[in-house]
Amino acid sequence: MALIKLFANLRKLAGTKELSVTEETVGATLSALVEQYPSIKDVILDGSELRPHIVITVNGHNVTDLNASVNEQDVVAIFPPIAGG
Amino acid sequence: MIDKRIYEMFREIGEDLYTAQMISSHGGNLSIRLGDRVIIKRRGAQLGRLKPHDLIETRLDKNDSGVALASTELLVHRTIYLNTPALAICHCHPRTAVAFSLSRDEIVPIDNEASYLLKKIPIITEEFASGTPQMANKVAEALMNYKVIMLRGHGTFATGQTLDEAFFWSSTVEEAAQIMLYTKQINEPFIEYRGMSDSYTKF
Amino acid sequence: MNGWSGKILDIDLSTKTYKTYPLDMEMARMFIGGRGLGARLLWDLVGPEVDPLSPENVLIFTNGPLTGTGYQTSNRFSVTTKSPLTGTVLDANSGGFWGMQFKKTGYDALIVRGKSEQPVWIEIKNGEITFHDASDLWGMRVFAVTEKLGQNNNKRNVLCIGPAGENLSRIAAIMNDRERAAARGGPGAVMGSKNLKAIVVEGKERATINDPEKFKFLLYETKKLLAASPLTSQALPEFGTVVLMNIMNNIGALATRNHQQTQFEGAEAISGEELTEKYLVKNASCWACPIGCTRISKTEKVEGEGPEFESTWAFGAQCGIDDLPAIIEVNALCNDLGLDTISAGSTIACAMELSEKGYLDSDLRFGRADQLAPTVEAMAYRKDIGAELADGSLRLATKYGHAELSMSAKGMEMPAYDPRGLQGQGLLYATSNRGGCHMRGNMIGLEVLGLPKLVDRFQVQGKSAFVILNQNSNAAIDSLVICKFTNMGVADEYFARVLGAVTGVQYATGELIKTGERVWNLERLYNNREGFTTEHDTLPPRLLNEAPTDGPSKGWVSQLEPMLKEYYRTRGWDQNGVPTPKKLADLGLANLM
Repeated sequence: MALIKLFANLRKLAGTKELSVTEETVGATLSALVEQYPSIKDVILDGSELRPHIVITVNGHNVTDLNASVNEQDVVAIFPPIAGG
Repeated sequence: MIDKRIYEMFREIGEDLYTAQMISSHGGNLSIRLGDRVIIKRRGAQLGRLKPHDLIETRLDKNDSGVALASTELLVHRTIYLNTPALAICHCHPRTAVAFSLSRDEIVPIDNEASYLLKKIPIITEEFASGTPQMANKVAEALMNYKVIMLRGHGTFATGQTLDEAFFWSSTVEEAAQIMLYTKQINEPFIEYRGMSDSYTKF
Repeated sequence: MNGWSGKILDIDLSTKTYKTYPLDMEMARMFIGGRGLGARLLWDLVGPEVDPLSPENVLIFTNGPLTGTGYQTSNRFSVTTKSPLTGTVLDANSGGFWGMQFKKTGYDALIVRGKSEQPVWIEIKNGEITFHDASDLWGMRVFAVTEKLGQNNNKRNVLCIGPAGENLSRIAAIMNDRERAAARGGPGAVMGSKNLKAIVVEGKERATINDPEKFKFLLYETKKLLAASPLTSQALPEFGTVVLMNIMNNIGALATRNHQQTQFEGAEAISGEELTEKYLVKNASCWACPIGCTRISKTEKVEGEGPEFESTWAFGAQCGIDDLPAIIEVNALCNDLGLDTISAGSTIACAMELSEKGYLDSDLRFGRADQLAPTVEAMAYRKDIGAELADGSLRLATKYGHAELSMSAKGMEMPAYDPRGLQGQGLLYATSNRGGCHMRGNMIGLEVLGLPKLVDRFQVQGKSAFVILNQNSNAAIDSLVICKFTNMGVADEYFARVLGAVTGVQYATGELIKTGERVWNLERLYNNREGFTTEHDTLPPRLLNEAPTDGPSKGWVSQLEPMLKEYYRTRGWDQNGVPTPKKLADLGLANLM
C-alpha cells in the first residue's frame, strides 16, 4: 500500500488529509484519487493532464511523469499552487 | 558530456518545433546558458531529430574547442546572453507569423492567450545573416524589452529562464498568427472582448 | 518631475537640525530608489572606520518612484544602514502603510545622522519637522507607543523601536504600523543607539504620474494577472506563507533543531493548514495590495498579525517545537518588543544545542515551548540568559567556543530552507550581501514550486545563473519599491513599463534588471571595502560536511565550492569575488573606485 497525502486547500476539497492506494503509477494513483474524491478532480487535472503548478512528489522528490512508478510504502504528496517567503 | 536530462529537454522541444511546423528540417536553434557556458545545437544538425552529439557546450565569453562545431548562430546567442537576462533562447521560423511580418511593424494578437501573455510582438528588420555582429546586436537590443521578437521575413527569437519558457512564447506567437489568419479568412466584424486592448500596441 | 519627489531630508540628531536638498537625478536614474538609492547614499556616508552603533552610522529611509502611486503593493519602504549584526551593508524592507505615508511627506529619502542626547521622536507632518522629547516613551513597548503617537490607518503612521532596540540588541527590529517589521540585520539597534524612539509621518503630497493612460492600462493588466495566478489569488490569501511548512518538510529541506535534521516530525502541527483551521481569524493586506497574505491569528492569549512561515519555523522546527499557539504568542511578543523573529528563534535554537551539549550552562532545551516567551523577553531586556542571546547566534556560539554551531552566513541567521535540500539556496545564502537571507533571491520558485519551471534542486552546474538572475531582479524590485509577491504573478517587464509610465524615464526590462545588478555590485563593493572577502562567502561546516542521514535529502551536503566558482565567473568577478574593472565600467560604477 502506498500513501497519498493531500495539502492546503486540497484537504478541504477532498474532505480528507490522506488515503492508502494500491496503484502502481503516479497517473493511476491520481485516477484512483479523483474517483474516490471527485470534488478535487478539476483542481488537479485538466482532462487527463496534470494542471500546471500542481506539485507532486514521491518520497519527497518531484515527479512530473505520470508513468513514474509508485511502490509499497511510498508517500505521494500532492500540493496545489503555493507560494511563500 | 552533456547531462542526459538537458539532452532530453532539447530533443523534445526540437521535435515539437518541427512537428508544429515552426521550423524547416535544419532551421531554427535552441540554446541554454549554464553559468558562464552555453549549450547550443551543432552546426548542420536537425532540431527535429537531435542526437546527443548534436549538442555543443562552449564558453560564453570567448571561443574554445567546442566552438568549431557550434551553430553559425552562436554569436547571436552569446550576444543575447551577455547583454540580456536571458537564460534560454528559442529561435524558429513560425511560418504564419513570418508571413504577417512582411506587411506590418508589429504583431498585436487578437486571441486571448497571446494578448494576455505577450501584448505585442515587435518586428525588426535585419537583412544581414545570422553570423554577423549587426544582426546579433540588433536582436539582443530588442530582446532587452520583449520576451519574443520577430525578424521580418525570417523568424522569432524568444528568451526565458528555461528552454520550456522560450518555446512557450514562440509557440504562442504562431498560434496568435494562425488565429489572425483565420479571422481574415472568416472576414466578419471583430467583437472586442478585452478591456483596454487599444493600449496593447503601447506595451 | 514625476514619480520621484526630488528631495532628500537630512536630519542631524546631535544638533536637532535638518536640511533638505535636491535628489541627484542622475543617481536616481541609476539606482531608482529604495534599496538601490539607500546603498548609493550609504556608500558616500558610512565608511569602514564607522562602528554601526556609533553616532557616525546613519539610517537612511527610502521610498521609490512607484511608492504611493496606487500601483499594486506600492506601499513598501527600505531602511539602509551598516548592520550591527553583520557589519555589512544592510537594507531592511517593510510593508504596511508607513512607506506610502512617508512618500506623502514629499521626500525620496530621509537620512538620520548623529545621536540625540536625550530620547527623542521625530514628527514629519505637512512640511513641518518637529523633534519631540521621548523620555516618557522610552521603555514603552511597540504596541503602546504606536497607539500613543496617534497611529491612524492611512492618515498618520508610526515607525518605532521597542525595548530590544533601546537595549541595542543586534537583532532588534524597526517596527511600523504596529506589526510590520524591518528587522533583519538589527536596524532597531542603530535607531536605539541614536536615542531615536519613533518617526511619525503625516503628509498630503500626491503622487504624480507622467503617463496616466498607460499607468491605468498597466494597473488593469496587473489586476488581471494577479487574479489569474492561483498563488496570488488563492494560496497566499487563504493560507499565507506558512503553507510552505508541509511543502519544505515533505521534500526534506526544512531545517530542524538548529539544522541537525532536514525534516521535522511536528511539521503538520505547525503548518499553514493547521493555522488556517484552528487559529486564523481572517487575512489582511498592506496598502494598495489585492493579495492579502497577512494573517490575523488568535489564541487564548493574543490576537494580531502573523505568524509568517519563517517566524513559525524559527520558533517551531528550528527549536524542535510543535506548539503552534506558543509560537503565535511569541511571534506577537517579538513584534511588541521589536525583535527579528528569524534571528531570535534561530539564536534560541543555537543556545538549545549549546546547552544540550554542555557548552552553555542553561536549561534551554529543544522542544521546550514554555521557554520561548520568557527567553525572548529576557533577550529584549538583556537579562540573565537573554544577555547572552541578545546579539545573535554567532556571538553567542563564538563566546562559548563553538562558532560552528551558529547557523548563519556572514553572521546573519539563515531562514528555513536547508541548503542540503536546495543547492541553489545555499549559494544564495553564501553570496547574499546582507548575510544569510532568502529575500535576496529566493530559489524556491525554481527548485521547489516549479515557477516558472522546476529545475533539479540537487543540480549544481549552471545553478549560479538562476541565482544571479533572481538576485538582480529582486534588487531591482527592492529599489522600486514594491512587494516581491507581486512578482509571483507579474513579470519584471510590467515593472519596467510601470516605472516608465510613472516617471517618464523609459527602462527596458533588461535595463531594470541591470539596475538590480548595479545595486548588487555596489553592495558587494561596500562589503569589500569593509573587509569582506571570498572567505566570508561560505556556510556553516554542518551544511558543507554533515549530510542528513534520512529523508529525501539523505546523503547530500551543500556543493558550495564549485557553485561559488561558477558564480564569480558568471557575475564577471575575479576568482576572489571582486568585481572586475570591466564589470564596474559596464555598470557605470567605475567612478566609485
